[in-house]
Amino acid sequence: MPQPTDLLQGTLDLLILRTLVLEPMHGWGIALRIQQVSQDVFQIGQGSLYPALHRLEYKGWIQADWKASENNRKAKYYSLTRTGKKQLEAEIESWDRLAGAVALVLEQG
Amino acid sequence: MLTEFLSRLRFLIAGQSRDEVDEEVRFHLERQIEANIRSGMSMEEAQRQAGIAFGGVERTREQCREMRPGYWLETLLQDFRYALRSFWRNPTFSLTIVLTLMLGIGSTTAVFSVVDRILFRSLPYGDSERLVSVGLIAPIEPQEFMLGGSYYEWQDNQKPFVALTSEIGTEPCDLTENNPARLDCARVEGNFLSALGVSPVLGRNFTANEDRPNGPRVALISYGLWLSRFRLDPGVVGKLIRVDGHATEIVGVLPKDFEMPRLQAADLLLPQALDVAAQRRADPGHPMWAYARLKPGVSIEMAKAELQPLFEYSLQLAPAPFRKEVHLQVRSLRDRQVHDVRLAAWILLGLVMAVLLIACANVTSLLLARGASHERELGVRLALGASRMRLVRQALTESFTLSVAGGVAGCLFAILLLRLFIAMAPDGMPFLSKARIDPRILVFAFATSLLCAVFFGLLSGMPKVGAEALTSRTRATMRHAILRRWLVIAQIAVSMCLLAGGALLAHSFWNLEKQSFGMTAENVVTAAISLGQTSYPTGESQMAFFQRLERNLRYGPGIATFAISDSLPPGGYHRDQVYASLRVEGRPALSSGTGGTVASRRVTPEYFQALQIPIVQGQGFTDEEVTSNDHVVVLSRSLAERLFPGQNPLGQHLHLHNGAAAEADPIYTVVGVAADVKNGGLAEGDEPEYYGLRRQQAQDWDRSAVLILKTTMPPAVTEAWIRSQVASLDPTVPVEIKTLSERVGKLADRPRFEMLLVGFFALTGLVLAVIGLYGVISFFVVQRTQEIGMRMAVGASRADILRLVMANALRLIVPGVFLGVALALGLSRLLSSLLFNISAHDPVTFAGVTGLLILVALLATLIPGSSAARVNPMIALRHD
Repeated sequence: MPQPTDLLQGTLDLLILRTLVLEPMHGWGIALRIQQVSQDVFQIGQGSLYPALHRLEYKGWIQADWKASENNRKAKYYSLTRTGKKQLEAEIESWDRLAGAVALVLEQG
Repeated sequence: MLTEFLSRLRFLIAGQSRDEVDEEVRFHLERQIEANIRSGMSMEEAQRQAGIAFGGVERTREQCREMRPGYWLETLLQDFRYALRSFWRNPTFSLTIVLTLMLGIGSTTAVFSVVDRILFRSLPYGDSERLVSVGLIAPIEPQEFMLGGSYYEWQDNQKPFVALTSEIGTEPCDLTENNPARLDCARVEGNFLSALGVSPVLGRNFTANEDRPNGPRVALISYGLWLSRFRLDPGVVGKLIRVDGHATEIVGVLPKDFEMPRLQAADLLLPQALDVAAQRRADPGHPMWAYARLKPGVSIEMAKAELQPLFEYSLQLAPAPFRKEVHLQVRSLRDRQVHDVRLAAWILLGLVMAVLLIACANVTSLLLARGASHERELGVRLALGASRMRLVRQALTESFTLSVAGGVAGCLFAILLLRLFIAMAPDGMPFLSKARIDPRILVFAFATSLLCAVFFGLLSGMPKVGAEALTSRTRATMRHAILRRWLVIAQIAVSMCLLAGGALLAHSFWNLEKQSFGMTAENVVTAAISLGQTSYPTGESQMAFFQRLERNLRYGPGIATFAISDSLPPGGYHRDQVYASLRVEGRPALSSGTGGTVASRRVTPEYFQALQIPIVQGQGFTDEEVTSNDHVVVLSRSLAERLFPGQNPLGQHLHLHNGAAAEADPIYTVVGVAADVKNGGLAEGDEPEYYGLRRQQAQDWDRSAVLILKTTMPPAVTEAWIRSQVASLDPTVPVEIKTLSERVGKLADRPRFEMLLVGFFALTGLVLAVIGLYGVISFFVVQRTQEIGMRMAVGASRADILRLVMANALRLIVPGVFLGVALALGLSRLLSSLLFNISAHDPVTFAGVTGLLILVALLATLIPGSSAARVNPMIALRHD
């Protein structure tokens, strides 16, 4: 298993938003999902997940509702708001630009 | 929609409840534990691993809380509460700072509000910066004026001005209709308003046709009159009013803020309607005051140069002896208005700047001292993990709180102080009564205090390098200590200057009050009366009125002496003429120069008795002379000595109006010499003076006169009685009654005002400087408690310790005082024009002030000094 990579500053927000596109999720689910999808490259320090979720919620990009979870326990489910969706598009775009630029430098530098 | 918005708002401000965050975290941990158990761990191991993976629960909780938008407000409140608590713990410190800021900000704001009106206000004319006052100055009238004989020549030929205009002054006039009133009428040239750039708010300006002799009678009324008499009726234009008995049409209303350029009161503006052709021929012509608007790009100096040929022309018209003493004057209208308060205004500004300087130095040195004593606390907090940002922010909160408190107190103080200024101010300080706290100045002062806050906050809150602060005194504190000492030295120096200025003015005021006037003002009531032009058009009718009044008053209750004059010593208005117009019969007139001015009054025989002016030669005026046709005169001693050096003046003949037509220049016989009386105001030099007699002849009387009553009754009784007697003759005649002592006292208003102001600032400065000194010495004592204890432990006596502290204080006081004396000697020359009978470098005053300052300063150090001497060595050595 490769060493877990530290998340780039601001990338966590992007990952959370992207994860929430599919369906509303609780914090645990988000963490698990990011870990699985990234094939264990991203080990989210779970302590930093919740402040990030709260920050996004205060910004109004995601919203939270208390709902019954799979095993009938109350959990806090986060979902994307409309501004959140727009924000995600913008973030993806800027990420692509950044990644493209880095790739260019790596190939040709 | 609205409820959604509100709930979101509440959410943003209050944040999520603690339970909610806990619940969320607990859920997370449970799921992790489940997962761990599923992967085969024991219950305890699963819990342990979940905890490790999650990281600190408490930290997460904290971090979630910090995410909320209202978080900064919370820390701010926390800092604020902390600041209040620490102020409460040390109330002397906080109160001193707030009071210092209050004095600094308050007095600056109040003084700026006053000075701004005087020096920097915008005049109520169009493009007023280009307006100038133009004219001649002569010894008899040091403020520029013009004469009809040359004014029109100037108007035709001048080049530097867009327009030149004139007014011939204001005089009382009567509105003779229902509800009569006495008004002030100003007579102005037709182009007056257009040249000043003023347009009527209603109606129109004068036309050229109206400004000529026997033109249509028209008037512009002031906004005040429009309001009080016509209740802002827009139909007032075209109305006829009777001014001094003549039907006059109102053609317009002046703007609300209109004022005459020389600031005289004016209710009506009338065309001056001079006969231009006659004026051109006349010598010297009607006196007038001229104003002009500079052409674009023309400076005052250029205008003065360009006017030189015209000035030469005017000089040719003047009698040869006068020519050397007449000069051309062109200055901005603003300078014309503030000519004699200008210096006072700048001095005031200087004073307040000095006080502000001391206040700033005080606050800085207090905060520096406090910062030094907090250094260790800051070091500890830094070591315990407080971020630097947080420490600076907290220091800023503290100094902001202090500054805002000081700023608010300062604003209140400014309002109070301004009221005091206005209440104290003498008449004739222009604009003072209209001074208001200007919001701009208030904002400025407040902004300054906030700026101070940032500066002081950074200064005292900037944490030193952590470990160093924990050990002992650092180099930074040493640097601060030196800075603090210099601040105190500077404070003492500046307050020395203020004190010296205040003491000089107080001494000068004392001289003014103590001087002898050459007359007695006690028990004298005076009544100034001015008769209406229409009711009393001739000298006969005026004389008849005053003589009937005299008959009714002379034998009234308590009246010992009764006299009539046209003016009163020791200051204020009186008739003036140049010495050159006096000529002793049989001698040639003065051949060169004007010889300065000579005062004169026209009095009844008992004048000298009423004011107890001794007649030193001859017998003065007698009742026989009143009924005779002889022209007699009493000279003042100084005039007699000048006219007849070494001769007996009695029985000599002289002309009083040399150069006038023969019938206007009779030969006067000298019948007495009176002792000199002060007649040029309190501080001005005195003029020689002569007295003419009011005989039983119409030519000796005019519309106005002052009654002088020496009485044994209380002034209020006499006043009521005079009023009733005047009213029984003519109820429409206005009377102004004052005791002579009041009139004399009024003359001292201005110097008293100046002295009180300077004294106030000097005291404020002294108090602040003493506080600063006290603070530094106390801090010195506290910082050295350990050392003092050590000294005592090895045998120093209390006197030794006291001597140590005092020596330290003297090292601040002595250089401060020396610096201050040098500075004050340099600056006090600025005051010299305000001083009376005292040199600006008066050694007694300077010595006294120096002694006082040293004494007060030493007293201020005695308190911390004696507390140092009482230090218990056992406790002091344990002092950390």
